[in-house]
Amino acid sequence: MSAIMRRLRQPRPRLPIPRWVNLVVGIAAFAYLLYAPLVSPSYSNTQMAMVCVYAVAGLGLHLLTGMTGLISLGHGFFFAVGAYTAAILSGTQGWPVPVSFVVAAALGWLLGFLFGLPALRLSPLALSQVTLALALITPSLIKRLDFMTNGSAGLSVDVGDPPAWSGLDKDQWILYICLLIALVAYLVTLALSRGRTGRAMKGLRDNLPVATTLGVRATTTKSFVFATSAAFAAVGGVLYTLVIQYVGADAFGLTFAIALITVIVVGGLGSVPGVILGAVFVVFVPSWASEVSPSASGLIYGVALVVFMFVLPGGVIGVLRAIGHPVVSRFHARRSTAQPPVPQEQEAGRR
Amino acid sequence: MTTFFQQIVDGLTTGVIYAAIALSLVLVYRTSRLVNFAQAEMATLGGFLAWQLSDWGVPFPLAIALAVAASFALGATMERTVVRPLHEAHNELALFVISLGILVVLINVEAWIWGYQVKAVPLVIDGPAVSIGSVLVSRQKLVIVAVAIVIAALLFVLFQRTRFGLAMRAAADNQPSARLLGLPVNATMTLSWGIAAAIGTLMAILVAPQQFLQPGMLLPVLLYAVAAATLGGIDSPVGAVIGGLIVGVVENLAGTYVPGIGQDFKSAVAFLIIMGVLLVRPQGLLGSKSVVRV
Repeated sequence: MSAIMRRLRQPRPRLPIPRWVNLVVGIAAFAYLLYAPLVSPSYSNTQMAMVCVYAVAGLGLHLLTGMTGLISLGHGFFFAVGAYTAAILSGTQGWPVPVSFVVAAALGWLLGFLFGLPALRLSPLALSQVTLALALITPSLIKRLDFMTNGSAGLSVDVGDPPAWSGLDKDQWILYICLLIALVAYLVTLALSRGRTGRAMKGLRDNLPVATTLGVRATTTKSFVFATSAAFAAVGGVLYTLVIQYVGADAFGLTFAIALITVIVVGGLGSVPGVILGAVFVVFVPSWASEVSPSASGLIYGVALVVFMFVLPGGVIGVLRAIGHPVVSRFHARRSTAQPPVPQEQEAGRR
Repeated sequence: MTTFFQQIVDGLTTGVIYAAIALSLVLVYRTSRLVNFAQAEMATLGGFLAWQLSDWGVPFPLAIALAVAASFALGATMERTVVRPLHEAHNELALFVISLGILVVLINVEAWIWGYQVKAVPLVIDGPAVSIGSVLVSRQKLVIVAVAIVIAALLFVLFQRTRFGLAMRAAADNQPSARLLGLPVNATMTLSWGIAAAIGTLMAILVAPQQFLQPGMLLPVLLYAVAAATLGGIDSPVGAVIGGLIVGVVENLAGTYVPGIGQDFKSAVAFLIIMGVLLVRPQGLLGSKSVVRV
């Protein structure tokens, strides 16, 4: 029994897939995603757009929790900031949608930075307490600001109409916006996860004293990461308003924050492609489960959190790596006996 | 002036509930270094068990006793199965995520079985409110206060007057040393989880008539309990009780007297308390300061 558990929990290194294969597969997948909306029914376009929403917000949380090891339940708040920014600026005031994106990202970054100033001085445990409180008061805060947010009745908006030259339906146009933003967010996250910043974040996660000794500025890096992840969440919120065309106070409470955590846990903590898989999971699996019972869709989040964290800490990506490893290594052995594969960096090496 | 005293007494009686859940949080934190966000929901589950048993015709006092016993077993089982392996691996992030997972599972299991319709839990004691001076207190609240005092007293005796309590304190203070001394560390951990769950359930049953028993009933209380535990010191049982009472009174007074807060936005008080305490005095009023040796 425990031998099985140990095998399941074993951290898996990244597969030695050549870079061009990744690139070709990535471009092909994205090209398919660009084509699919044209031939899909509108509900499936909306679902794909929701995947993008969760992916963008989840990528931000990946930077914070997966890379830097800080826990936040408060990202529902920053998400709500973005959602309401879009609903008020583009919906009520009629400003163009790109302005909402810029304002929401800036506002999210600023609020994240300001919240992080005191909060990041705290231990990770205390940070989880503060952000839990933030998650629990977000709905009542929104209702308190009812002169802007229209309280619990919420705001119905009509934003993101496709321009006439495109000849697209609204759901297709919005999905394209979502895909574009998600692609940008993905590339920014990849860039941040690698190189100097990425190493600094991982260092803070895995061993704070050593990282600071080696010259990583803990406070600066943490503030930057927290603010950036809040900006990601806010941009996700703008997309949410575009997709749903409605914002209401009760959508942004603890349940939503937990859904975001599910996104990064299911895919595999610390893995960027894992976030996309996690987003697919939280959009599609609950809607299948709700056919069994309305409670089953919520239940599946909880079960997923427990099972993935306890049995499969590597997430879906970990499982894929375990399955793919024999195939890829055999391929390598046959192809280049003279040139052994370069040892890969241990991804997601947990303490 | 009567309003003022009434608010204080109301605050104290609510504060007792916060104190009890905070006490559960503290008991669990001391052994597993985890602020168990599922604690309040475990208590709500116990409340549902008691309601279900009494609905099946079990006499209410017996139903309470059975529900508390079941919660004790559930808490202890949770510690033995899910929590301990991760605690031993020092994987705090995983523990945190799992406590969230358990919270979600419990809410949805309750919703699946019992639905969101509010269940009418009987009062333990009925009758007109008792007046103390010009202040009115309902009998049920007096019972809640009395039960909380008994719980606090029993815990005091357990911790300070028994050999096992000494072992519990030792294990909380320095687990490796306690283990080397041959103290029953594992048993203290399991028992702490059991006691924490039992206290929560008892309180949940008592407050269910006024809080309206439904899934997620104690989530608002969780916020105040975390505030109370933070204020009192996350590893101090006495601090949790004091913190709970303070949070109850402050929240009530702020809701009544501070303009712009009102009854609906009282939860902001809890947020400000948590933030303020962690910044000014991270160890809380009575908690132990954590010093890291590099």
